[in-house]
Amino acid sequence: MLFRLENLSHQYSDGTIALDNISLSFSKGERIALLGPNGSGKTTLLLHLIGILKPTSGKVYFEDKPLEYTPKALLELRRRVGFVFQDPNDQLFAPTVKQDVAFGPLNLGQPADQVRKAVDEALKLVGMSEYAEKPPHFLSFGQKKRVALAGVLAMKPDAIILDEPTSNLDPRGTSEILHLLLRLNKELGLTLILATHDVDMVPLFANKLYILNKGKLVSEGAPAELFSDTELIRSINLRSPRITHLFEVLKKEDKLPINPRLPLTISEARKEILRLLESETGEKKKRTRT
Amino acid sequence: MSHFNLSAEIDRYAYTNALSKNSPVTKLFFALSLLLISVLSPSPVVPITVFLTTTVMILLCAKIPWRFYLRLLWYPTVIVALTCVIIALFFGYLEPLTEVNLLGLRWTIFRDGVATGFTTFFRVAGALSSQFFLVLTTPMTSILLILRKARVPKIIVEMSLLIYRYIFVFIEVMETMHIAQELRLGYSGLLKKLRSLSMLIGNLFIRTLDQGERTFTAMSARGYDGNIRVLEDVPKPNNAALAGIMFFAVALAIVAYLTVNIRIV
Repeated sequence: MLFRLENLSHQYSDGTIALDNISLSFSKGERIALLGPNGSGKTTLLLHLIGILKPTSGKVYFEDKPLEYTPKALLELRRRVGFVFQDPNDQLFAPTVKQDVAFGPLNLGQPADQVRKAVDEALKLVGMSEYAEKPPHFLSFGQKKRVALAGVLAMKPDAIILDEPTSNLDPRGTSEILHLLLRLNKELGLTLILATHDVDMVPLFANKLYILNKGKLVSEGAPAELFSDTELIRSINLRSPRITHLFEVLKKEDKLPINPRLPLTISEARKEILRLLESETGEKKKRTRT
Repeated sequence: MSHFNLSAEIDRYAYTNALSKNSPVTKLFFALSLLLISVLSPSPVVPITVFLTTTVMILLCAKIPWRFYLRLLWYPTVIVALTCVIIALFFGYLEPLTEVNLLGLRWTIFRDGVATGFTTFFRVAGALSSQFFLVLTTPMTSILLILRKARVPKIIVEMSLLIYRYIFVFIEVMETMHIAQELRLGYSGLLKKLRSLSMLIGNLFIRTLDQGERTFTAMSARGYDGNIRVLEDVPKPNNAALAGIMFFAVALAIVAYLTVNIRIV
C-alpha cells in the first residue's frame, strides 16, 4: 500500500468539517481519481497525503508507516510524492521556467549538474524544453500547467498528486495532459492520484475511483461500477459522462436492449453500438428465415 | 492602463532582444560605467557621445524598434527639458547674456545658467539612454543572479525574485477587477471612481496575502526550507569585451577632461 487513511477527519479553524471519518487505501502503480463536487473535501484530503495539513483525528500511513511531521521526514515524503496544484500561478514562483523546475531538485541538495540533467529531462517529458529560459508570464495557462508538472517530475517521484489537472484547460490542453499522465503511469510506473469533477475525463483516466461528498467517502470501486449507479451520482450534484447518459436514455426511454453495464467512453460506446447492430441484423435474418 | 503595458513590453524586449544572450555582467558594466561618466562629465561633449553610442547599441545591436525607443525617451525628455529651461532661466550670476521683458519685469539671463541648463540636459540624456540600454537588453533574471553573486543580502534578492514574478500575476488580477468594476459603471463620476478604486486596492491587498499563503504551501510541497536555491547559469563575460568597454570609458574620461573649457553658449 502506498497510502492508507485511517478514520481521517479534518476540521478547519472556522469550524467547518472538511473531512469526516475517511478510511481508504491507495496501491502503487494505480491511476486513482477522487471525484466530488466543489467543496467536497478533495483538496483537503490530498493535502493530508503530503503532510501539508495534519488530521484533526485519525491517521495517514505512507508505505504502512504513520506519517512523521519532522522536516526531514517531510522532505523525503515530498521527494517521493509530488503535488501539482490547481492554479499553476501558485506553484510557479521563479522568474524563469528552468529556475522553477530546478527548485525541487535543488532543495533535495543535489549537485548542479545532476539538477540540470533532471530539469532537461522533466521539461522534455512535458514538451516544454524550448521554453526553459522564458519567464512564466510569457506562457499560456496550459503551458504553465505542464511546467508545474515538470517541476514535480524533476524530483523523480514515485507518485504524483494532481489537484484538478484539467480545470480551465481547452479541449486540446485537456487531452494532452491526459495522454501525458497515462504515459507517465505506463512508462515510468508512476502512481497518479488526482482530484477532479470532470466526469467525462474520469473513465478515460482512472482504474480506481473514489467519490467524495460533503467530506464523506460516498463510494469506491472501478469507474464502470460506480457510474452505473446513476441515482447516487445525481444525488451529489454530479452527472454521468455524456456518453453514459445517452445510453441510459436509450435504454430507459427507447427500451433498447443495452447492457446493464453502461458504456463510459467513446470506445466502449462503439462496441456497444456494433453489438446492438449485429444482434439486430441477426434477428432480422432469423425473422426472414421463419 | 498603458503604463503597465509599457513595463510589460520593456520586460518582453529584455528577453527577446538580439543581445539578451550576451553576458549580463558585460552589459551591466557597460551601462554603469557610461552612466557614471555621463553624470560626472563637466562638459556636454561626453554625455552626447554616450547618448549616441548607447542609442546606436540599442537600435542596431539589440535591434529594439526605434518607435518603441522613442516612446520610452519621450516622457522623461519632456520633464527634463522643462527642468533645464528653468535652470537656464533662474541659475547663474556671472556673465549677463541677455535681458528679456517678462510681464513688465526686466529679467537677466546669465551665460553660465544657460550653460548649466544645457549640460544638465545632456547629462541626463546620456544617463537615461545608458539605463535604457540595461533594462532593454538584460532580463531581470540575469540581474537577480548578478545581485546574488555580488553578495547582496539574500532577503533582498529573494524578495525581488518573488516580487518580479508576482507583479505580472497581480497586474492581470488588477486588470480583470478593474474591467469588472468598469462594466458595472464603477468609474462613472468622481465619487464612484474613488470608491471603486479604494475597493480595488483593498481587494488586491487581500488577494496578495492569500497568494502568499498559497505560494508558500506550493513551495513547501517541493521541499522549501526557507532558502530559495537557484541554478547559477550566467553566461561568462567576454574578457575582450570587458577590456574594450574599459578602454572606451577611459577614452571618454580623457575627452571629458580635455573638454572642460568648451562652451556651447
